[in-house]
Amino acid sequence: MTSIDGGKAIEIEDLVVRYGERQVLDHLSLCVAAGEVYGLLGGNGAGKSTTLQAILGFIQPSAGRVSVAGLDPASDPAGVRRTIAYIPENVALYEHLTARENVDYFLQLGGLRADRAEMDAAFRAVGLAEEAWSRSVSGFSKGMRQKTAIALALLRRASVLLLDEPTSGLDPGASADFNALVSRLRGEGAAILIVTHDLIGVADIADRIGFLERGRISAEMVAEGPDRFDLRALHDRFSRVRAG
Amino acid sequence: MNALFREARFLLGLKSAVAAILCLFLLSAVAVGAGLVEVARQQATIARIAPQQAADVAAIADWASREKDPGNAAYYTFHATWDPPSDLAFAAIGTRDVSPYVLRVRALGLEAQLYEGEIGNPEAALPGRFDFAFVLVYLAPLFVILLFHDLRSGEREAGRLGALEASAGSPRGLWRARIAVRAAGLFLALAVPFLIGAAVAGTALWKTGSVLLIVLAYLAFWITLSVVVARAKRGSLANAMTLAAAWMTLTLIVPAIGHVVINSAIPLRQGMELGQRQRTAVHRAWDIPKSQTMDAFFRTHPEWKDTAPLTEAFHWKWYFAFHQVGDESAADLARAYRAGVLKRAAWSERLGLVTPGVAAQLALHRLAGADPSAQIAYQDRIRAFHGALRGFYYPYLFRDRPFGRDDFARAPVYQAAPDPGGWPGGLLLGLVGMTALVAAVGAWWSRREGL
Repeated sequence: MTSIDGGKAIEIEDLVVRYGERQVLDHLSLCVAAGEVYGLLGGNGAGKSTTLQAILGFIQPSAGRVSVAGLDPASDPAGVRRTIAYIPENVALYEHLTARENVDYFLQLGGLRADRAEMDAAFRAVGLAEEAWSRSVSGFSKGMRQKTAIALALLRRASVLLLDEPTSGLDPGASADFNALVSRLRGEGAAILIVTHDLIGVADIADRIGFLERGRISAEMVAEGPDRFDLRALHDRFSRVRAG
Repeated sequence: MNALFREARFLLGLKSAVAAILCLFLLSAVAVGAGLVEVARQQATIARIAPQQAADVAAIADWASREKDPGNAAYYTFHATWDPPSDLAFAAIGTRDVSPYVLRVRALGLEAQLYEGEIGNPEAALPGRFDFAFVLVYLAPLFVILLFHDLRSGEREAGRLGALEASAGSPRGLWRARIAVRAAGLFLALAVPFLIGAAVAGTALWKTGSVLLIVLAYLAFWITLSVVVARAKRGSLANAMTLAAAWMTLTLIVPAIGHVVINSAIPLRQGMELGQRQRTAVHRAWDIPKSQTMDAFFRTHPEWKDTAPLTEAFHWKWYFAFHQVGDESAADLARAYRAGVLKRAAWSERLGLVTPGVAAQLALHRLAGADPSAQIAYQDRIRAFHGALRGFYYPYLFRDRPFGRDDFARAPVYQAAPDPGGWPGGLLLGLVGMTALVAAVGAWWSRREGL
């Protein structure tokens, strides 16, 4: 895992994104530090996907600033993407390739290579069963696909992880495995942004939770004490956000 | 380079893509093979001419030299002409399918002899020939559509697009590499069989290079169009339907409408009509006084005016004179026919400047010497040779000189030369221009739509 100097891995300041007349992000500001898990909660159309696209450098902001590991995605998208591992809601891999071949292909896309031993270590670290490593991914469950994607993130030594609805559709056991894996990555210094609808799931793992409402953070909560979050307060807040 | 190797390896793992490229390779190989077989058949036919012609002339000489009547020799002796296939004809048979490439002529009226081929070959014009030009113009775009219509949409539909572009240092580099590898696969599927065919046929290097340029330019057009369409945020099925509609419009509908419009705008009498006009004039000569025919003949050929006067008895010089008068009565039609064919060809070329399929096909036919202008050039060579035949026989006929066995050997012999083909620069420029236009419109549209 690449370390981030200065602590702040993702910094978004006053970000405005417009699609024609429609303003999707409205002076959004948030930051995620190295070794922190940030949960971004929001209803449909709140601007979650647009936020991810801005971080990845897929869209040009109308105003404001984004910085990832000190790099600007708008001016250096390739540099930013080298530091980021993006794991979508449904990890879609190439069905005709094995887990190993998929990881190898995606690594090569970013100009990287991993030898067999490194790949084995990454698969072992994410808990992917050994018999699956050289099997076509066509029969993989969602959890196995996520593990493959996180193994890829480990091999890429990504310092920033963007997780899009990571626990939706996972059974409780797989969710617990996933959370353990995220905790481990946080412990290794990764900055992790989880974009989700799943309030309960994110409360288990996030250090901070931001509520995205009409393109801006309307409230933020910080994990405290052994219970981490007051779930009732979280739920009330989230209900208001979704109703708004 | 690494990206190209990576995408090449990736493509080799996609069974559907590999099957498509192999299928195009097979079609191309079959078309080239069929073209080589057809050219070999035409060459064998032409090779049989010389011995058969010699035997035929020897038989006539045996019989005709007994009376030494030049009329018998001129009337009964056929003289072979032929249009050898060019070194590229295997790839584009073109008009060689519908117009004769061997024609045996006598010193009689020419026009009726020129168009006798129209009776035998029209059915060949209907289905067309399965040659390399057909595979390139009509089938290759379908394979381009197959490989490119879901380039991005397929990834989007599979849910991989975000992760894929996020993993790539440069998404543009990723798409460029994918496009380049698929384009190279299609290009090789077409080019390798063609290059083997060109090596077998001994095709000139400049023509081989020109064909590869045409293949490249034509593929570039369809790939550019497919990439532009596939850029839109629509489903793969919608992209495939749009591109299939474009294929149908650009390769079938526009050329067919253009053909109808050109043919209506430039009406052309059939060659058979020319022959009929000549025949009518010839047959009329039997019903009118000989002097009327001879006066008409001497008006255009005063050099024979001092020939001995005709009597009531049959004389070959009168017979050959009325054949020539018959030809001359159809001369205006012949000139109009020739000009009309060339005018239609010129308009077809203009149509090619806005229709990629027409441009590619005409360019290949031009290079192969298998276009209408090559057909007219062969007719011109026959006319010149026929003129030489008349020039050879007339002194015997009009001066009543005996025609002995040795005279048969003095008859002119047709000198054939394959059509050298022409550089289709304008058509190639048209293809490149259309590709650039599609790319420019695509870039403008992408910017406008924020794709």
